[in-house]
Amino acid sequence: MRNRVKRLASRLSAFEQSLTFSRSEKVVLAISLAFTVCFAMPATAQAMHIMEGFLPPEYCIAWGAICVPFLVLGVIRIKRLIANTSRHTLILLAMAGAFIFVISSLKIPSVTGSCSHMTGTGLGAILFGPTPVSVLGIIVLIFQATLLAHGGLTTLGANCFSMAIAGPIIAWLLYKGALALRINRSVAIFIAVMLGDLFTYCVTSVQLALAYPSDVGGVVASAVKFLGVFAPTQVPLAVVEGLLTVLIIIGMQSFASKELKEISFGEKKAGVA
Amino acid sequence: MITAILTMVFSWCLFSGQLPDSLLVPLCVLLGVLIAFVSRYGHSQSLSVDVLAQMSRLRTVNPMLKFWILFILMIVCIASANVYTGLFLLVAMLVMAVFVGGLPLSRYIRVLALPVSFLMIGGLALLFEISPSSMGVLNIPVPVFGFWLSVSAETQARTALVVAHALGAVSCLCLISLSTPMPDIISVLRRMRCPSVVIDLMYLIYRYIFILLTLHREMRVAAQSRLGFRSYRTSLRATGMIYSNLLARSYQFASKNYDAMESRCCDTGIRFLERPNRISLTHAMVAAALLAAALVLCFLPL
Repeated sequence: MRNRVKRLASRLSAFEQSLTFSRSEKVVLAISLAFTVCFAMPATAQAMHIMEGFLPPEYCIAWGAICVPFLVLGVIRIKRLIANTSRHTLILLAMAGAFIFVISSLKIPSVTGSCSHMTGTGLGAILFGPTPVSVLGIIVLIFQATLLAHGGLTTLGANCFSMAIAGPIIAWLLYKGALALRINRSVAIFIAVMLGDLFTYCVTSVQLALAYPSDVGGVVASAVKFLGVFAPTQVPLAVVEGLLTVLIIIGMQSFASKELKEISFGEKKAGVA
Repeated sequence: MITAILTMVFSWCLFSGQLPDSLLVPLCVLLGVLIAFVSRYGHSQSLSVDVLAQMSRLRTVNPMLKFWILFILMIVCIASANVYTGLFLLVAMLVMAVFVGGLPLSRYIRVLALPVSFLMIGGLALLFEISPSSMGVLNIPVPVFGFWLSVSAETQARTALVVAHALGAVSCLCLISLSTPMPDIISVLRRMRCPSVVIDLMYLIYRYIFILLTLHREMRVAAQSRLGFRSYRTSLRATGMIYSNLLARSYQFASKNYDAMESRCCDTGIRFLERPNRISLTHAMVAAALLAAALVLCFLPL
């Protein structure tokens, strides 16, 4: 009997030891804490995609038309990327797309119908540049519309513009700008992704406001109103997304460094990341 | 539950001033209770829509026909100037999915519940206007800034129209997703001459989404069975470990997946065998009838 207890105790202590953390693990834990705190807040904002049927047809067509050149550019860029590098680039691209899907449909904890969400496009923009992300973005938006009834087919253009074109372009510009200013790479990624996410939500608000201006204050008042609806959840989420993306890129540099080198990511040595 | 409360509040704001209070209050409560009752049980698994689509009796209908007719119906719906088109499509799609497709009603309502609750929150934002005076049907004072959040008859009419559009269009979208598995949708896009790189990416992303979700679930179950979520602290620890491993593991998985494809001589586009579903006369006629009805309603004078 005593033997058994001893054995159990030793096993338990071994288990405990396997749970002690290295420094990077602690960082991950800290982030996940922030993650939980943010998601556990009773969020009461609309989802960030404009839903099916919410926009009048002329706006659907207009936003769709704006997206077309970016998408064409994106397809061309992706074709070149794949032609010039090995097959791993395709995996990276598809993985980035799956990441966008999963992260922008995360509903934790699933309080029915009450969540904003992250965009996930910042990661792709930093790795591949803004135009390939627009293609990934529109694929993900089609999946979300048909698999989760999240977003929609008629509002595809508007959503694509805000999430997969405007946000990534800002994120990419900020990232390049920050690197040029010799800011630490991790910090640059964080700032770029966070502000890209916030910009996406500003664009969404403006899109809604253009379609439905206020009677009294016009487009501007209406934009302020929609911004107010999104703000309480989207700001913390943007911060979380920034942190998460930094972590992911750090992680990827450890397990996919060869592939990252191929798409010439992180060639100039800057910062620790 | 939240959806139910939301429905009550929303329908009250939408119709207040147009119906007498003695009628309105019971109506709102009834709607709320109804929704609470229907969405009482069930665990919503992620991507259960995909499974439901495989089970639907409408799956064998030609995907081109399904996709295009529903897409056109959506456009008709959002272009119409009255609320009837949307409401008609809401009912018609319910009939199609439940009675023709053979989906249980409660599942259908659960699929629809999420977008509808988003819609209602968005609708509330449309309904309330910031105005300097209390001239609306319903007014909420904002004490510090000295203005009112008010609902007027115009915003009520506008919101009703938008909500009807959205309900109709979302129902169409739900029918597409509940009757057409993703590979069929991708094949429709392929026939629309989408670039082959995009089609490849779509297949891969679709596959990788499932890899990510499956790995995540497995890791969660593993952590759970080791009492990882027993207390708040341990659950934080477990969540952290899961997320730190998720991407690395799924990347390896995806890499192997691609190796397997390459070892079977896959070098150009990814193609799957498609079932040849011909358009039958009945299907075409049903589609035409739906379209005709929607068009008639669309041009109905109001």
